[in-house]
Amino acid sequence: MKSSHEKFAPWLTLLARLALGGVLLVAGGLKVSKPTESANATAAYKILPTDLAHLAGYALPWLEVVIGLLLIFGIMVRYAAVAGGLIMIVFIGAIISVWARGMVIDCGCFGGGGVLDPSLAASARRTYLIEILRDLGLALCALYLYFFPSGKLGIEKTSSEEQ
Amino acid sequence: MAVLVVATGVIFSMLGQSNKENAALAGLDGTKLKPAVVSTIDVENGSAITYNSGLATVIDIWEDPQCPVCKNFENAIGEYVNSLVREKKATVRFHVLSFLGDESVRAANAGFCAADEGQYLDFNTALYKVQSPLENSGFWSGETLISIGKKIGITSSKFANCVTKGSNVALVQANAESMAKFGVRGTPTIFINGKVWEREISDFNLIEFRAAVEGA
Repeated sequence: MKSSHEKFAPWLTLLARLALGGVLLVAGGLKVSKPTESANATAAYKILPTDLAHLAGYALPWLEVVIGLLLIFGIMVRYAAVAGGLIMIVFIGAIISVWARGMVIDCGCFGGGGVLDPSLAASARRTYLIEILRDLGLALCALYLYFFPSGKLGIEKTSSEEQ
Repeated sequence: MAVLVVATGVIFSMLGQSNKENAALAGLDGTKLKPAVVSTIDVENGSAITYNSGLATVIDIWEDPQCPVCKNFENAIGEYVNSLVREKKATVRFHVLSFLGDESVRAANAGFCAADEGQYLDFNTALYKVQSPLENSGFWSGETLISIGKKIGITSSKFANCVTKGSNVALVQANAESMAKFGVRGTPTIFINGKVWEREISDFNLIEFRAAVEGA
Protein backbone atom coordinates (compact mmCIF):
# COMPACT_ATOMS: atom_id res chain seq x y z
CA MET A 1 0.00 0.00 0.00
CA LYS A 2 1.47 3.31 -1.07
CA SER A 3 1.83 6.22 1.36
CA SER A 4 0.25 9.43 0.17
CA HIS A 5 3.70 10.88 -0.49
CA GLU A 6 4.57 7.91 -2.72
CA LYS A 7 1.39 8.53 -4.66
CA PHE A 8 2.09 12.19 -5.22
CA ALA A 9 5.92 12.04 -5.39
CA PRO A 10 6.19 11.77 -9.18
CA TRP A 11 4.00 14.86 -9.56
CA LEU A 12 5.87 16.76 -6.86
CA THR A 13 9.10 15.95 -8.64
CA LEU A 14 7.70 17.26 -11.90
CA LEU A 15 6.51 20.40 -10.17
CA ALA A 16 9.89 20.98 -8.51
CA ARG A 17 11.68 20.38 -11.79
CA LEU A 18 9.45 22.84 -13.64
CA ALA A 19 9.68 25.46 -10.91
CA LEU A 20 13.46 25.40 -10.47
CA GLY A 21 14.16 24.65 -14.12
CA GLY A 22 11.67 27.17 -15.38
CA VAL A 23 12.96 30.04 -13.28
CA LEU A 24 16.57 29.24 -14.20
CA LEU A 25 15.74 28.98 -17.90
CA VAL A 26 13.88 32.30 -17.94
CA ALA A 27 16.46 34.13 -15.80
CA GLY A 28 19.31 32.82 -17.93
CA GLY A 29 17.48 33.30 -21.21
CA LEU A 30 16.80 36.97 -20.47
CA LYS A 31 20.50 37.56 -19.73
CA VAL A 32 22.17 35.50 -22.45
CA SER A 33 21.84 38.20 -25.10
CA LYS A 34 23.10 40.95 -22.75
CA PRO A 35 26.48 39.74 -21.50
CA THR A 36 27.71 43.25 -20.66
CA GLU A 37 24.72 43.92 -18.40
CA SER A 38 25.29 40.60 -16.66
CA ALA A 39 28.98 41.36 -16.17
CA ASN A 40 28.23 44.85 -14.80
CA ALA A 41 25.54 43.47 -12.47
CA THR A 42 27.89 40.84 -11.04
CA ALA A 43 30.64 43.42 -10.50
CA ALA A 44 28.18 45.69 -8.68
CA TYR A 45 28.02 43.19 -5.80
CA LYS A 46 31.69 43.96 -5.11
CA ILE A 47 32.30 40.44 -3.83
CA LEU A 48 34.64 39.05 -6.49
CA PRO A 49 37.57 41.02 -7.89
CA THR A 50 36.32 42.92 -10.94
CA ASP A 51 37.79 40.71 -13.67
CA LEU A 52 36.53 37.51 -12.03
CA ALA A 53 33.15 39.11 -11.51
CA HIS A 54 32.97 39.90 -15.23
CA LEU A 55 33.81 36.29 -16.11
CA ALA A 56 31.20 35.01 -13.67
CA GLY A 57 28.71 37.44 -15.17
CA TYR A 58 29.43 36.11 -18.65
CA ALA A 59 29.16 32.47 -17.55
CA LEU A 60 26.10 32.63 -15.32
CA PRO A 61 23.35 33.05 -17.96
CA TRP A 62 24.62 30.03 -19.91
CA LEU A 63 24.87 27.96 -16.75
CA GLU A 64 21.30 28.86 -15.85
CA VAL A 65 20.00 27.97 -19.31
CA VAL A 66 21.77 24.60 -19.37
CA ILE A 67 20.67 23.61 -15.86
CA GLY A 68 17.17 24.90 -16.54
CA LEU A 69 16.82 22.77 -19.66
CA LEU A 70 18.20 19.65 -17.96
CA LEU A 71 15.66 20.02 -15.16
CA ILE A 72 12.69 20.76 -17.40
CA PHE A 73 13.40 17.76 -19.61
CA GLY A 74 14.32 15.55 -16.68
CA ILE A 75 17.88 14.71 -17.71
CA MET A 76 20.57 14.14 -15.06
CA VAL A 77 18.08 15.52 -12.56
CA ARG A 78 20.15 14.86 -9.45
CA TYR A 79 23.24 16.60 -10.84
CA ALA A 80 21.23 19.48 -12.21
CA ALA A 81 19.43 19.82 -8.87
CA VAL A 82 22.71 19.98 -6.97
CA ALA A 83 24.03 22.61 -9.40
CA GLY A 84 20.80 24.57 -9.25
CA GLY A 85 20.72 24.38 -5.47
CA LEU A 86 24.30 25.57 -5.19
CA ILE A 87 23.54 28.50 -7.48
CA MET A 88 20.63 29.48 -5.23
CA ILE A 89 22.81 29.27 -2.13
CA VAL A 90 25.43 31.49 -3.80
CA PHE A 91 22.72 34.02 -4.75
CA ILE A 92 21.30 34.06 -1.22
CA GLY A 93 24.80 34.59 0.19
CA ALA A 94 25.50 37.41 -2.25
CA ILE A 95 22.27 39.24 -1.48
CA ILE A 96 22.82 38.90 2.28
CA SER A 97 26.34 40.27 1.80
CA VAL A 98 25.10 43.31 -0.10
CA TRP A 99 22.28 43.89 2.40
CA ALA A 100 24.68 43.65 5.36
CA ARG A 101 27.03 46.19 3.79
CA GLY A 102 24.19 48.64 3.28
CA MET A 103 24.64 48.69 -0.48
CA VAL A 104 21.78 49.61 -2.76
CA ILE A 105 21.89 47.57 -5.95
CA ASP A 106 19.56 45.83 -8.35
CA CYS A 107 20.16 42.08 -8.12
CA GLY A 108 20.12 41.73 -11.90
CA CYS A 109 18.37 38.38 -11.46
CA PHE A 110 16.36 38.60 -14.66
CA GLY A 111 18.53 41.10 -16.52
CA GLY A 112 19.50 44.66 -15.75
CA GLY A 113 21.29 45.18 -12.47
CA GLY A 114 23.86 47.54 -11.06
CA VAL A 115 24.07 50.33 -8.55
CA LEU A 116 20.84 52.12 -7.74
CA ASP A 117 20.12 55.70 -6.71
CA PRO A 118 20.62 55.87 -2.91
CA SER A 119 17.14 57.33 -2.52
CA LEU A 120 15.76 53.90 -3.47
CA ALA A 121 17.31 52.33 -0.37
CA ALA A 122 14.05 51.44 1.38
CA SER A 123 12.49 49.66 -1.58
CA ALA A 124 15.80 47.93 -2.33
CA ARG A 125 15.86 46.35 1.14
CA ARG A 126 12.33 45.05 0.69
CA THR A 127 13.35 43.63 -2.66
CA TYR A 128 16.38 41.90 -1.09
CA LEU A 129 14.10 40.07 1.33
CA ILE A 130 11.74 38.93 -1.41
CA GLU A 131 14.66 37.74 -3.53
CA ILE A 132 16.16 35.79 -0.64
CA LEU A 133 12.82 34.11 0.13
CA ARG A 134 12.28 33.23 -3.51
CA ASP A 135 15.77 31.74 -3.86
CA LEU A 136 15.28 29.83 -0.60
CA GLY A 137 12.09 28.30 -1.99
CA LEU A 138 13.93 27.29 -5.15
CA ALA A 139 16.79 25.85 -3.10
CA LEU A 140 14.23 23.71 -1.28
CA CYS A 141 12.94 22.48 -4.66
CA ALA A 142 16.53 21.52 -5.46
CA LEU A 143 16.81 19.67 -2.16
CA TYR A 144 13.59 17.77 -2.87
CA LEU A 145 14.82 16.83 -6.32
CA TYR A 146 18.06 15.48 -4.86
CA PHE A 147 16.07 12.94 -2.83
CA PHE A 148 13.33 12.34 -5.34
CA PRO A 149 14.83 12.84 -8.79
CA SER A 150 12.48 10.62 -10.74
CA GLY A 151 8.96 11.62 -11.60
CA LYS A 152 6.47 12.24 -14.35
CA LEU A 153 7.49 13.21 -17.85
CA GLY A 154 11.22 12.83 -17.39
CA ILE A 155 13.42 11.82 -20.30
CA GLU A 156 15.95 9.89 -18.24
CA LYS A 157 14.58 7.02 -16.25
CA THR A 158 16.46 6.41 -13.03
CA SER A 159 17.09 2.92 -11.69
CA SER A 160 14.20 3.01 -9.22
CA GLU A 161 11.70 3.36 -12.05
CA GLU A 162 12.92 0.34 -13.89
CA GLN A 163 11.63 -1.97 -11.14
CA MET B 1 28.98 18.93 -22.50
CA ALA B 2 27.37 21.48 -20.27
CA VAL B 3 30.80 22.87 -19.48
CA LEU B 4 31.48 23.22 -23.20
CA VAL B 5 28.33 25.26 -23.70
CA VAL B 6 29.13 27.57 -20.81
CA ALA B 7 32.75 28.01 -21.90
CA THR B 8 31.66 28.82 -25.45
CA GLY B 9 29.21 31.36 -24.12
CA VAL B 10 31.90 33.04 -22.04
CA ILE B 11 34.40 33.19 -24.90
CA PHE B 12 31.71 34.51 -27.22
CA SER B 13 30.84 37.27 -24.73
CA MET B 14 34.45 38.28 -24.20
CA LEU B 15 35.14 38.46 -27.94
CA GLY B 16 32.01 40.51 -28.45
CA GLN B 17 33.13 42.95 -25.79
CA SER B 18 36.60 43.47 -27.28
CA ASN B 19 35.12 43.86 -30.76
CA LYS B 20 32.83 46.62 -29.53
CA GLU B 21 35.73 48.42 -27.89
CA ASN B 22 37.89 48.27 -31.02
CA ALA B 23 35.06 49.42 -33.25
CA ALA B 24 34.45 52.37 -30.94
CA LEU B 25 38.12 53.40 -31.16
CA ALA B 26 38.05 53.10 -34.94
CA GLY B 27 35.09 55.46 -34.93
CA LEU B 28 37.39 58.24 -33.78
CA ASP B 29 39.56 58.08 -36.91
CA GLY B 30 39.44 61.26 -38.93
CA THR B 31 38.21 63.47 -36.08
CA LYS B 32 39.43 67.04 -36.48
CA LEU B 33 40.64 68.83 -33.38
CA LYS B 34 39.00 72.21 -32.74
CA PRO B 35 41.08 75.23 -31.64
CA ALA B 36 42.42 75.10 -28.09
CA VAL B 37 40.42 76.84 -25.36
CA VAL B 38 42.14 77.91 -22.16
CA SER B 39 40.67 76.63 -18.93
CA THR B 40 41.54 77.28 -15.31
CA ILE B 41 41.20 75.21 -12.19
CA ASP B 42 38.71 76.69 -9.76
CA VAL B 43 40.00 75.60 -6.36
CA GLU B 44 37.09 77.22 -4.51
CA ASN B 45 34.67 75.17 -6.53
CA GLY B 46 35.94 71.63 -6.21
CA SER B 47 38.99 72.21 -8.44
CA ALA B 48 36.79 71.90 -11.49
CA ILE B 49 38.00 72.57 -15.03
CA THR B 50 36.59 76.06 -15.48
CA TYR B 51 35.89 78.05 -18.63
CA ASN B 52 34.93 81.73 -18.92
CA SER B 53 34.83 82.39 -15.20
CA GLY B 54 32.92 85.47 -14.10
CA LEU B 55 30.02 85.40 -16.56
CA ALA B 56 26.39 85.83 -15.51
CA THR B 57 25.27 82.26 -16.22
CA VAL B 58 27.16 79.52 -14.36
CA ILE B 59 26.78 75.85 -15.25
CA ASP B 60 28.35 73.12 -13.10
CA ILE B 61 28.56 69.65 -14.63
CA TRP B 62 29.48 66.69 -12.42
CA GLU B 63 30.32 63.53 -14.39
CA ASP B 64 32.28 60.29 -14.11
CA PRO B 65 33.85 59.28 -17.45
CA GLN B 66 32.55 55.69 -17.05
CA CYS B 67 29.02 56.70 -16.15
CA PRO B 68 26.60 55.51 -18.83
CA VAL B 69 23.89 58.09 -18.07
CA CYS B 70 26.55 60.81 -18.40
CA LYS B 71 27.11 59.48 -21.93
CA ASN B 72 23.43 60.02 -22.64
CA PHE B 73 23.75 63.59 -21.37
CA GLU B 74 26.82 64.18 -23.54
CA ASN B 75 25.12 62.72 -26.61
CA ALA B 76 22.10 64.97 -26.29
CA ILE B 77 23.53 68.13 -24.78
CA GLY B 78 27.35 67.95 -24.92
CA GLU B 79 27.72 69.84 -28.16
CA TYR B 80 25.51 72.65 -26.88
CA VAL B 81 27.58 72.96 -23.69
CA ASN B 82 30.79 73.04 -25.72
CA SER B 83 29.35 75.79 -27.89
CA LEU B 84 28.45 77.82 -24.77
CA VAL B 85 32.12 77.57 -23.80
CA ARG B 86 33.55 78.44 -27.21
CA GLU B 87 31.14 81.32 -27.77
CA LYS B 88 31.81 82.57 -24.22
CA LYS B 89 28.10 82.56 -23.37
CA ALA B 90 28.43 80.99 -19.92
CA THR B 91 30.85 80.03 -17.20
CA VAL B 92 31.10 76.26 -17.38
CA ARG B 93 32.75 74.16 -14.68
CA PHE B 94 33.47 70.48 -15.36
CA HIS B 95 33.77 68.48 -12.14
CA VAL B 96 35.47 65.25 -13.15
CA LEU B 97 34.56 62.49 -10.73
CA SER B 98 36.03 58.98 -10.55
CA PHE B 99 34.05 56.95 -8.03
CA LEU B 100 33.21 54.21 -10.53
CA GLY B 101 36.71 52.75 -10.27
CA ASP B 102 40.42 52.96 -11.06
CA GLU B 103 39.63 53.21 -14.73
CA SER B 104 37.70 56.41 -14.03
CA VAL B 105 40.69 57.79 -12.15
CA ARG B 106 42.93 57.15 -15.18
CA ALA B 107 40.41 58.68 -17.56
CA ALA B 108 39.83 61.68 -15.28
CA ASN B 109 43.57 62.27 -15.00
CA ALA B 110 43.81 62.12 -18.79
CA GLY B 111 41.01 64.68 -18.96
CA PHE B 112 43.00 67.07 -16.81
CA CYS B 113 46.06 66.41 -18.99
CA ALA B 114 43.98 67.30 -22.03
CA ALA B 115 42.84 70.49 -20.24
CA ASP B 116 46.53 71.38 -19.83
CA GLU B 117 46.71 71.28 -23.64
CA GLY B 118 43.57 73.41 -23.92
CA GLN B 119 41.69 70.43 -25.32
CA TYR B 120 39.46 69.14 -22.53
CA LEU B 121 36.25 69.70 -24.54
CA ASP B 122 37.20 67.55 -27.53
CA PHE B 123 38.92 64.92 -25.39
CA ASN B 124 35.88 64.64 -23.14
CA THR B 125 33.63 64.24 -26.16
CA ALA B 126 35.90 61.50 -27.52
CA LEU B 127 35.94 59.66 -24.19
CA TYR B 128 32.17 59.48 -24.07
CA LYS B 129 32.07 58.43 -27.73
CA VAL B 130 34.16 55.33 -27.02
CA GLN B 131 32.89 54.69 -23.50
CA SER B 132 32.58 50.96 -22.93
CA PRO B 133 29.24 49.64 -21.62
CA LEU B 134 31.30 47.27 -19.45
CA GLU B 135 32.60 49.24 -16.47
CA ASN B 136 36.18 48.70 -15.28
CA SER B 137 36.88 46.36 -18.15
CA GLY B 138 40.48 47.52 -18.48
CA PHE B 139 39.67 49.29 -21.75
CA TRP B 140 40.98 52.71 -20.63
CA SER B 141 44.57 51.76 -20.02
CA GLY B 142 47.20 54.49 -20.17
CA GLU B 143 48.13 53.42 -23.70
CA THR B 144 44.54 53.52 -24.92
CA LEU B 145 43.93 56.94 -23.38
CA ILE B 146 47.05 58.28 -25.11
CA SER B 147 45.95 56.68 -28.36
CA ILE B 148 42.49 58.29 -28.02
CA GLY B 149 44.26 61.64 -27.66
CA LYS B 150 46.36 60.89 -30.73
CA LYS B 151 43.38 59.90 -32.83
CA ILE B 152 41.67 63.21 -32.23
CA GLY B 153 44.85 65.25 -32.67
CA ILE B 154 46.46 65.60 -29.24
CA THR B 155 49.92 64.35 -30.09
CA SER B 156 52.29 66.13 -27.72
CA SER B 157 54.62 64.03 -25.62
CA LYS B 158 53.71 66.31 -22.69
CA PHE B 159 50.17 64.90 -22.84
CA ALA B 160 51.42 61.32 -23.15
CA ASN B 161 53.75 61.71 -20.16
CA CYS B 162 51.03 63.36 -18.12
CA VAL B 163 48.73 60.40 -18.76
CA THR B 164 51.38 57.76 -18.08
CA LYS B 165 52.69 59.41 -14.92
CA GLY B 166 49.26 60.30 -13.56
CA SER B 167 50.49 63.88 -13.12
CA ASN B 168 47.06 65.27 -12.27
CA VAL B 169 45.90 62.67 -9.76
CA ALA B 170 45.89 65.29 -7.01
CA LEU B 171 43.29 67.28 -8.96
CA VAL B 172 41.28 64.11 -9.56
CA GLN B 173 41.29 63.50 -5.83
CA ALA B 174 40.33 67.10 -5.05
CA ASN B 175 37.31 66.75 -7.34
CA ALA B 176 36.36 63.45 -5.70
CA GLU B 177 36.60 64.92 -2.21
CA SER B 178 34.47 67.92 -3.12
CA MET B 179 31.45 65.75 -3.95
CA ALA B 180 30.10 65.74 -0.41
CA LYS B 181 30.66 69.47 0.06
CA PHE B 182 28.40 70.28 -2.88
CA GLY B 183 25.79 67.64 -2.08
CA VAL B 184 26.43 65.61 -5.21
CA ARG B 185 25.37 61.98 -4.78
CA GLY B 186 25.41 60.62 -8.32
CA THR B 187 26.18 61.49 -11.90
CA PRO B 188 25.41 63.33 -14.01
CA THR B 189 24.42 66.20 -11.74
CA ILE B 190 24.06 69.58 -13.37
CA PHE B 191 23.68 72.91 -11.58
CA ILE B 192 22.50 76.06 -13.36
CA ASN B 193 23.38 79.15 -11.31
CA GLY B 194 23.76 77.03 -8.19
CA LYS B 195 20.45 75.19 -8.46
CA VAL B 196 20.23 71.53 -9.48
CA TRP B 197 18.71 71.08 -12.94
CA GLU B 198 15.79 68.66 -12.49
CA ARG B 199 14.66 67.39 -15.82
CA GLU B 200 10.98 66.80 -16.56
CA ILE B 201 11.55 64.54 -19.57
CA SER B 202 13.29 61.27 -18.69
CA ASP B 203 15.56 61.34 -21.75
CA PHE B 204 18.02 64.23 -21.85
CA ASN B 205 16.32 66.82 -23.99
CA LEU B 206 18.35 69.62 -25.56
CA ILE B 207 15.38 71.96 -25.90
CA GLU B 208 14.52 71.53 -22.23
CA PHE B 209 18.11 72.16 -21.13
CA ARG B 210 18.54 75.12 -23.43
CA ALA B 211 15.39 76.72 -22.06
CA ALA B 212 16.65 76.20 -18.53
CA VAL B 213 20.00 77.83 -19.34
CA GLU B 214 18.56 80.74 -21.29
CA GLY B 215 15.89 81.41 -18.71
CA ALA B 216 18.29 81.31 -15.75
